[in-house]
Amino acid sequence: MDIKQLEEKCLFLRKKVLEMCLKAETGHVTSSFSSIEILASLYYQGHIKNDPTDEKMKDRDRLILSKAQASPLIYTIMADLGYYDMAELDKFAQKDGIFGVHLQDTVPGIETTAGALGHGLGVASGVALNAKMNRELYFTYCLLGDGELYEGSIWESMMFASHNNLNNLVGIIDRNFLCTTEFTENLIELEPLDEKIKAFGWNCHIIDGHNLEELDKAFKRLRNRPSRKPTMLICETVKGKGLESMSYQPLCHGVPPKGDAIEIAKKEIGL
Amino acid sequence: MKTQRDSFWDKIYELAQKDRDIIVISADMGAPALDKFRTNLPSQFINTGIAEQNAILVASGLAKEGKKVFVYAIASFLTLNCIEKIRVQSGMMNIPINIVGVGAGFSYPDSGPTHHLSEDIAIMRAIPNITTISVSDEFVAEKIAIDYKNFNNTYYIRLERQPDGVVFNSSDEVDLDKGIHLLSKGKKTLVLSNGNLLFKCRDIIKENKLDLGLCDLYRYPVNLESFKEVVSNYEKIICVEESFLPGGIGSAVLEALSDLELSIPCKRIGADTKNGYCYSYGGREEIHKFYGFDTKALTKILSEA
Repeated sequence: MDIKQLEEKCLFLRKKVLEMCLKAETGHVTSSFSSIEILASLYYQGHIKNDPTDEKMKDRDRLILSKAQASPLIYTIMADLGYYDMAELDKFAQKDGIFGVHLQDTVPGIETTAGALGHGLGVASGVALNAKMNRELYFTYCLLGDGELYEGSIWESMMFASHNNLNNLVGIIDRNFLCTTEFTENLIELEPLDEKIKAFGWNCHIIDGHNLEELDKAFKRLRNRPSRKPTMLICETVKGKGLESMSYQPLCHGVPPKGDAIEIAKKEIGL
Repeated sequence: MKTQRDSFWDKIYELAQKDRDIIVISADMGAPALDKFRTNLPSQFINTGIAEQNAILVASGLAKEGKKVFVYAIASFLTLNCIEKIRVQSGMMNIPINIVGVGAGFSYPDSGPTHHLSEDIAIMRAIPNITTISVSDEFVAEKIAIDYKNFNNTYYIRLERQPDGVVFNSSDEVDLDKGIHLLSKGKKTLVLSNGNLLFKCRDIIKENKLDLGLCDLYRYPVNLESFKEVVSNYEKIICVEESFLPGGIGSAVLEALSDLELSIPCKRIGADTKNGYCYSYGGREEIHKFYGFDTKALTKILSEA
């Protein structure tokens, strides 16, 4: 898929995510929007090898979505890839639906249940370690929110992955600088984040998390395992990217637009 | 008498030599039997350092991909420090891992209440897809190692630190599904206990020639059918445990009686939360004294039963 097509795909994903969250009157729209280019690059630029007709394919690449609040996005991508019918999206967080606001491993294409933060990187480390033990070539990606970096277990896992030379593990931080109530640097400073991660023995690169070319290049390069150590990509993003009306402000977490904001949001992304 | 720990790990080591998918994750916890692992099977032995939460997470990731994982640490840290990780990564997804904790009850008597383990049975048995085996002797420990391949959910293996006695003559006698074993029949009253206190009750019953039944209840959730078979013949039950009373063994027994609609009066002896945490030193008996079930007090209770 070329960049133009991919940009169109990202717009399609934004529309679908907003639509399903508006219908359900719940869901993390802004958290999903900040991750759209990251996951679009992984799934539509061929970085994640998978097969909707063989969900448990042995050599599939694994995505551990630690940032489970982006579930509307991953559920949309899985439907688009053919893991299940697009009509399932209309039943998001509703009676007879197969998924809700956070992540469920019973949904086709989804590796783990998640929602409690700080778990994903450790699980991903175990999954990556399994590949090393079995001499399997699959890659494990773990998408983290920057807000969950306050969880201590993340740093336990960070040490572990580095010590065990898990260069088949790629951590991705959706660095949107916003938690629920505050900007991260006002809350508890995370910066200098890259230096902290490097100090834990990882390679770490800061890239633009909405730039599809940069993402493509970074993921491609890592496939060659250029180092023995795992790599963390800090993807700088905007929480709510595409919806100016919901960006750059706290308290826009976990709620779709309401009242007059609905029409504004729809207009912004051409829905 | 072998420690439960060595009995368990010796068997796992034996199996692991023929099965490369058996992986031991230790949170900086050793055992003589594990030294063999470290030396002879280094690719199957992982040390996470004192990072129990990560140990559980890594275990879940490995087990999700098909590894047979045993996570090992001091029991209080491996359960209470990790409960949400266990709940999500094992309970919710039903990914079977084997959580092996040493230090049941007051196994670390002089280490203070951080190392005492009085809440884990209540907490672990509240989580779906987890079976707790509170091990009383080396043969139960060995039986778990033999049977683990048949487990279809997570097992929390709760080990005493030191051996206090034996219930069984061999692991062949142990039935983990039943999880209940009658040591002595007695007449009207049945004492249900586990671990260190089971042996204390046995000694008291023997020395005082009390006509009491004595039973090791070591599986939670309780197997109701097996439980009914044993308890139906009695007029009264006394539960004796080192756990805090809410949610502990006595609670499990009361729930089982209620579910079975059996009207047998049941008295619970255990650590009362009203007494709080215990900072008594000088051995396990001192802690029992603090909570009111030292040998003298327990003898009185059982004699009057």
